[in-house]
Amino acid sequence: MAATLIGNYVESKMLRFKELVLTMQEFFYFALRSFATLPKAKRYWRDVLDQALICGVESIPIVLVSSISIGALMSMEVGNLLEEFGAKTMLGRSTSNAVLRELGPLLMGLMLSARYGSRNGAELGAMQISEQIDALRAFGTDPIAKLVMPRLLAALIMFVPLIALSDFAGLQTGALVAQFYHKLDPGIFWNSIYPRLLPKDFVVSFLKAPVFAIIITLVSSFNGFSARGGTAGVGRSTIKGIVASSGLVLVANFYVSKLVLDIMH
Amino acid sequence: MIELRNVTLRYGEKVILDKISLTVQDNTIKAILGPSGVGKSTIIKLMLGLIKPNSGQVFVDGVDITPLKEADLYPIRRKMGIVFQGNALFDSMTISQNMSFFLRENLRLPDEEINRRVVEQIRFAGLEGYEDQLPESLSGGMKKRVAIGRALIFNPKMILFDEPTAGLDPVSSRKILNLIASLKKSNDLGAVFVTHIIDDVFAIADEVAVLYQSKIIFDGPTAQLHDSQHPFIKSILSDKILEL
Ligand SMILES: Nc1ncnc2c1ncn2[C@@H]1O[C@H](COP(=O)(O)OP(=O)(O)O)[C@@H](O)[C@H]1O
Ligand SMILES: [Mg+2]
Repeated sequence: MAATLIGNYVESKMLRFKELVLTMQEFFYFALRSFATLPKAKRYWRDVLDQALICGVESIPIVLVSSISIGALMSMEVGNLLEEFGAKTMLGRSTSNAVLRELGPLLMGLMLSARYGSRNGAELGAMQISEQIDALRAFGTDPIAKLVMPRLLAALIMFVPLIALSDFAGLQTGALVAQFYHKLDPGIFWNSIYPRLLPKDFVVSFLKAPVFAIIITLVSSFNGFSARGGTAGVGRSTIKGIVASSGLVLVANFYVSKLVLDIMH
Repeated sequence: MIELRNVTLRYGEKVILDKISLTVQDNTIKAILGPSGVGKSTIIKLMLGLIKPNSGQVFVDGVDITPLKEADLYPIRRKMGIVFQGNALFDSMTISQNMSFFLRENLRLPDEEINRRVVEQIRFAGLEGYEDQLPESLSGGMKKRVAIGRALIFNPKMILFDEPTAGLDPVSSRKILNLIASLKKSNDLGAVFVTHIIDDVFAIADEVAVLYQSKIIFDGPTAQLHDSQHPFIKSILSDKILEL
């Protein structure tokens, strides 16, 4: 009796595991096919442009909000801390690390995963359940080339300037908070940053752009394509996509930093 | 001609189609009748190679399409038009863009030729004046006609309809059925239509196959359906209702 119960339990766990492995395999092929269709960008340049507007231009406000809040928060908190040690002149340096390398990109990644990822997931999921993706295939158009590749390419292109904007706005806000809250001369703030800025700071920051672009676009699109079971199914698959891509953004954020800092220290 | 030979299809552990065989001749209207969830849409997708059977073969004009790769399936699919149950029109495109999209995608035609064909399909669908509207602003019957126009754009020999009258009012249903029948007469077009409405079958189908519990329980000329002794068929003939 107990043995069969345990047997059933193990069996159901094995089944779940098998499913997970199968899904990961499917995702891997999906990702490969998305990259393989990049040469068709010329044919679908209009879709690339549309997506670039959506993920680039329309994401500017949310990127500004997240980078400004990180810049302000770090400058304020770290300033208070440094003041205790009489090291307030190091504020710029301390803030810039967090803004450029870690929290700035991370929060931007999470925000874009919520914004661009959810949009992709919901849009493609709705297309899946209304059979528009089947219709593309039925009439001879590769849905990955038409729908996923433009989103991927647009994100790869646009996330770079978004990171630059996020870096700039975050530091600028940090400087303003230093000036008006900590009464620190902006010259001192910036001077503690510039001479110590190293190439690796920028490599970390800008390498995160394509990594996040790939994670967010492919995971959300894959989940959209996998939507089943009506409108509720679109909701479920969109949530799955956001949870998965946010989690992966968190993990990737850590590993990109670690990798680059290990190599370039 | 489309033929399913000993086709089995499972989703997970669930057997949807169990070794079914089915033939659709050219220039014939064949109905596939069955209750909801029995696997009718699945059969249509198998015919187009959109999904692959677990075992068995699908032949289109004598070619076994089951081992074919996606890219090799494209020219074969072009022999068949498809009208999806919910039409599957692209909701971000206008009516004429919906009609022209696949022409532009697949054939290197000059713009005038594409426009000519689109105008022709718009006129055929009786949608003059709606060219620049989005699908959402059209009635159910009109959307269905756009979908039929789109399905005809490559001049196929056969057109597949997934529940063409589901969700339409009786007058629009009637019009769509007449349209399917007239396409056969005027364009020599064969049709497969799946439905759960038995009146549609008697209205236009030359032949009918009945799908029930993963099996084909009847396959033959529509008129012979009355001779079937199968209890399920007898019950649907007396009730005319397939909701179980
Ligand atoms: N992608 C899928 N994954 C799992 N089950 C599916 C999938 N597509 C369809 N099914 C199931 O297969 C059965 C047949 O579906 P379908 O062919 O759409 O039926 P019908 O068109 O006759 O209503 C249904 O029970 C449905 O839930
Ligand atoms: Mg169906």
